[in-house]
Amino acid sequence: MSSFQPPSPLDRVRIVVATSVMLTFISYWRAAAIVLNDLASSAFYACGISEQAVGKSAPWFIVGVMLFSFAVRAVYVESCSMFVRGGVYRVVKEALGGTLAKFSVSALMFDYILTGPISGVSAGQYIVGLLNETFATADTHGWIPRAAHSLFNGTPHLNVNLTSVVFALAVTIYYWWENTKGIQESSEKALRVMQITTVMVVILLGWSALTLFKSGYNPVPLPTPQNLHFSKESLGFLRHSFPEQSLAKMFGLLGILIAFGHSVLAMSGEESLAQVNRELAHPKLKNLKRAAVVIAIYSFVFTGLSALLSVMLIPDAVRVPVYKDNLISGLAMYMWGPLLLRLIFRGFVVVVGFLILSGAVNTAIIGSNGVLNRVSEDGVLADWFRFPHRKYGTSSRIINLVVLLQIVTILASRGDVYVLGEAYAFGVIWSFTFNSLSMLVLRFKYKGVRGWKVPPNVTIAGTEIPIGLLSVFLVLLATALVNLATKSVATVAGVSFSVVFFVIFTVSEHTNRKKYALAKQQMKDHFQLLQSDTVQRDLLGIRAGNVLVPIRDYNTMFHLRWALEHTNTKDQDVVVMSARISQFGSAAYGLSTEQVFNDYEQTLFTRAVSVAESFGKKISLLVVPARDPWSAIAQTAHNLESSAVVAGVSSKMTTAEQAFNLGSAWEAIPEPKRQFLLQIVHPNGNVDTFRIGPHTPTMKNEDVVLLHRLWLKITQEQGLENVHHHDILTEALTRFEKDYGEHDREDIVKELRLHADADPMPIRRIADQIPTVQSEPTRSDGDDGSSGPLAGPK
Amino acid sequence: MGQIIVIVLVRILEGMFVVGIIGSFVVIVLTGIEDLKMLLGREEENRS
Repeated sequence: MSSFQPPSPLDRVRIVVATSVMLTFISYWRAAAIVLNDLASSAFYACGISEQAVGKSAPWFIVGVMLFSFAVRAVYVESCSMFVRGGVYRVVKEALGGTLAKFSVSALMFDYILTGPISGVSAGQYIVGLLNETFATADTHGWIPRAAHSLFNGTPHLNVNLTSVVFALAVTIYYWWENTKGIQESSEKALRVMQITTVMVVILLGWSALTLFKSGYNPVPLPTPQNLHFSKESLGFLRHSFPEQSLAKMFGLLGILIAFGHSVLAMSGEESLAQVNRELAHPKLKNLKRAAVVIAIYSFVFTGLSALLSVMLIPDAVRVPVYKDNLISGLAMYMWGPLLLRLIFRGFVVVVGFLILSGAVNTAIIGSNGVLNRVSEDGVLADWFRFPHRKYGTSSRIINLVVLLQIVTILASRGDVYVLGEAYAFGVIWSFTFNSLSMLVLRFKYKGVRGWKVPPNVTIAGTEIPIGLLSVFLVLLATALVNLATKSVATVAGVSFSVVFFVIFTVSEHTNRKKYALAKQQMKDHFQLLQSDTVQRDLLGIRAGNVLVPIRDYNTMFHLRWALEHTNTKDQDVVVMSARISQFGSAAYGLSTEQVFNDYEQTLFTRAVSVAESFGKKISLLVVPARDPWSAIAQTAHNLESSAVVAGVSSKMTTAEQAFNLGSAWEAIPEPKRQFLLQIVHPNGNVDTFRIGPHTPTMKNEDVVLLHRLWLKITQEQGLENVHHHDILTEALTRFEKDYGEHDREDIVKELRLHADADPMPIRRIADQIPTVQSEPTRSDGDDGSSGPLAGPK
Repeated sequence: MGQIIVIVLVRILEGMFVVGIIGSFVVIVLTGIEDLKMLLGREEENRS
């Protein structure tokens, strides 16, 4: 018989579980840039794949798909207006239940897993294509040494597919490591990539227009059944039943539908719109619609027009045989103008292609990681996968799984973009189909508020018929069904993958259900979970001026020990906080307690409580879901009116960088806000102290002497005998502000840069380090908002 | 018999596709007008 006695309800430790994610919000331009990094990347390979499948009229189908993407985007806008996180999993689960949600998320995973390999291999094709072309051009000028000739048995030439595989593997492994370390997604970086891409698109369209005017063009055959020329591969299972070309003639419209199905991958990436929605700034719906318009127009112009131009300008003899996998490079080579200029532009195309396609490889890893984290939060994937990396705290097991699948895919494809593209379309079309079907069902099932509806809607006998939604669904379903028959590789790979993932999800869910029942009971015995939408001081029962201690890894709690050692908890409360990082693809609001507080948090807090008990001190516990840990810490410290944040030293960045990140997050909090101290504790007990927020700067001795010397001179002036030191500083700063805003800006910046270069400690705009690194902090009576029980000497 | 079933299924798919494309075209036109109004700052609320 067990001697274990559960504690009485009064003994249980209270944990406040915040259920709203603490986010930093972005403008619609940045949101559009993030989505376009995924969506616009397909312009680099979609038309080549489509033309191989259906023939020379492929660009019209790409244009048609891009037009249709305006309607698909409308479905996503409606879903996002209902659920802040309106992605496939949430929507399908709400409408059709858990089983179909698991199927749809499996299709989405297939989409994400394939995004990496197709983008990596395609980027490789562009780079190798340029290298081979450069070798050939150099050889015609006699610039290639004879030794190189004998080595390659002629003009140096790299095996395109093999080298692309090596390149794709290198990029994937690079991003695997970056994600394992936990790189921050940057909307700034996405915006820069899109700005560079826009420069390329403008040059491409402008130069193409000039070329059309100067050199004429090849007409693009209209998308009629007679103009369709299917390859054997593009008929999939149907090639066994019908002779190669008779199908389109037998069923005129079916041919169009098959061709449309071979072009749908051009609109892959729409799902990203749902994922960035929750980060959009207020007014959310308006900004979502603006972002959606920008995305749709941009991708239509880039993907649609570049597809048409490639057939119009690149001769038939080389378009498919030479440039099928790097069509935009081919377009650059057939512009009107000198060869050198065309080669330079091709180089630019390759650079842009590399940036956007390798960015898509990263997006694929982040997206898959986010989706699997999301389903894991719902108990559909074993918690084992979500266990944080020992050093970096990332969900490395999920990242490893995703990257392993991507590497296997890259190797299996042998660098064939066509095969990858065909398979990719399976995930794209089925995740769209599930999403639109669910939205259709929700029109009848969901009675909550909708921000917006896909038009037109007709009311007959009191029932609203969603004609627009139904239409989009019909197109997607018809295309998805036809693709099942015509894309044999995609069907076999996609169905197998989805079934395997579905089985993993189902078994995990079953196992987790049993485990959660036990964990829930244990949790009830030891912890009292108080659910709250936001973080509030009252709910935690703590006083203002408390000390906030963020924890992540239960093996490294030296900073909690330090905080408890140096805090008298009778005077000042200690709040231990865990930020549950809720990634891309996770829910944003209304998370259930189990989603936020799970196995790992239970172990983490059990350890924290035992540390506090060893000091005989009381701590308050808090779990906060967050997109970005810095933002969560800054917002929580702000909401709880904390006077100090005590953090452990990071394995990824210096303490100054930690302070800078927290300072940046603090800057994003709206006014009014209060300053606080950040104390970063090293394992050896040393502490680096920073003030977060504006504060009296630490002045160098020579500056104090200079100020005093000026004061002595100025007070000798008639009528200025009573001037104080601070009056001189006020005047100096006012003049500095004026000069910086007007004519002397460049000189000032230049001089400050010189100072920065001379100073090994980088200039920190937001968080200034107090130049004392002390192991024994003393109390302070500071009055500048930086004081606190844990404040060091100033 | 098998051929007839295939033909019927194909016709159904074609019908779905044609009806869907026409409806989607209407969606594109209507949302396009709405987007234009939004970009010109004359947006109407469409809430339920």
